[in-house]
Amino acid sequence: MKVLISFDHATLGYGRKVVLRDLSFEINEGDFLGLVGPNGSGKTTVLRALLGTHPPLSGTVVRAPGLRFGYVPQRDQVDYDYPLTAVDVVLMGRYDRIGLGRRPAPEDRARAMQALEQVGIPELAGQHLKNLSGGQRQRTLIARALVGEPNVLVLDEPTSGMDLVSTTQILGLIRDLHERSGLTVLMVSHALNEVANYVERIALVINEGFRIGPTAEIMTESVLSGIYGIPVEVDAFNGHRMVIARRQHRA
Amino acid sequence: MPAGSTVLDTILLFRDALYGALVIGVTCAVLGVYVVLRRIVFVGAALAQLSSAGIALSLFLGGYGLTASLGEYPTAVSLVVTLLGAVFFGLGGGRRLISSEASIGVTYAVAAAVGILLVAKASHGEVHDIFLQGNILGITRADTLLLLGVSVPVLLLHRVFYKEFLFVSFDRETARTLGYRVDLWNLVLYFSLGVVIASAMRFAGVLLVFNFLVLPAVTGLLLSRSMGGTIAWAVASAVLAVVIGFSLSVPFDLPSAPAMIAVSGAIAFSAWVVRRIRE
Repeated sequence: MKVLISFDHATLGYGRKVVLRDLSFEINEGDFLGLVGPNGSGKTTVLRALLGTHPPLSGTVVRAPGLRFGYVPQRDQVDYDYPLTAVDVVLMGRYDRIGLGRRPAPEDRARAMQALEQVGIPELAGQHLKNLSGGQRQRTLIARALVGEPNVLVLDEPTSGMDLVSTTQILGLIRDLHERSGLTVLMVSHALNEVANYVERIALVINEGFRIGPTAEIMTESVLSGIYGIPVEVDAFNGHRMVIARRQHRA
Repeated sequence: MPAGSTVLDTILLFRDALYGALVIGVTCAVLGVYVVLRRIVFVGAALAQLSSAGIALSLFLGGYGLTASLGEYPTAVSLVVTLLGAVFFGLGGGRRLISSEASIGVTYAVAAAVGILLVAKASHGEVHDIFLQGNILGITRADTLLLLGVSVPVLLLHRVFYKEFLFVSFDRETARTLGYRVDLWNLVLYFSLGVVIASAMRFAGVLLVFNFLVLPAVTGLLLSRSMGGTIAWAVASAVLAVVIGFSLSVPFDLPSAPAMIAVSGAIAFSAWVVRRIRE
């Protein structure tokens, strides 16, 4: 399987502050990987190193030549007060292909419409961003990531702040995109229980530690208790895995 | 109130001032759309104040014979000071140490105070107050050409690289992942803002420049749901504010800049009413 991104003894951080040490792992073509950890654990730092927007302090992060990312930022990173429609936003995903100082051609608009169809909201193309629901905004941002014809779809907290229905729909959409076209997907999330039931591999970033492996291997009581530092229980309900912290008894 | 023909004669007498104000209004209105959308309204105010301090510095130094030649060109000194400020804010405004809001506040307050102190100690300081408050009616044909010389390239830059400025303003993180040099684009945006503010300050003053950077854009955003429409409405409202404000200031013997600002306010309020009715 072709290696798309390779971390080789990469130490990540800002200035003199080291966030994560000595990371070595690979992301292969067709991977469906969840990068999971609590807020402030260093997920975003890993993400930036992976995208190439923040170089490692030491070691290397190598991306396959010609690799294109389709990036879906956290929803609150985008300002919905801009007077833009859904299709305007989707078109931005092709701006680098269109070139400096050039305007989108009819073909770019057609591709933007196709991307909106892919995420199931073609009828909302002309809707102002402000009028879209949380789930519709997320679909718009996913369409923008897809319209650039990426090799890797990277989503930063795609279900953060969403209700149960929207969360299920968005995660289902991401899984469909992966299964239908074999698209490599990296999903960053703080919610292990949500991600674990969709992705094929999990990378856990907790307490300055990093552990990566197939979901079945990571989602065991011994591994999770070790990395979280507290006893946890992994239960299955209708085929869905769920991690629960064991109640601590008073000393 | 003078008769109609007298009013018209007076307006025609000051037609160069009207053209100059139109150039300032239109250019600031276009850039103001980014200023309002990026929520950097007070960066505009701080840059205007810095620009004014630059003029004061030039007068102060020129008055004491320290920079005789620069004293003749207060706009040049103002430009240098404003661009330094634009670079500072474009690179984050020292946000690693203090918040952006705090650095904007500090810049605004210090620049305002320094400007006043320098003018107070400049020779013929009271005469030079006009440079700080602006002198719309004093705009000559040559000044208008100078303003056009600055505004046309800036507007062309924003026309050609519209989608680049929009993208890095709307979602800098995603733009970065697509290979955009976000810091460089931000710097260019702030730089163009600094150039426009510095060239307009000497004629329009802090308050009018600040007005044109904010109110027309607010009007545009209230009336339109597209970027193109917002810019078009912003430009139209700036043109209206200049023409109406200028025309009213003559018969009623009012200062031109506050008259234009008052009209801008009335237009923005009308836009707000229209928006409320529409929704």
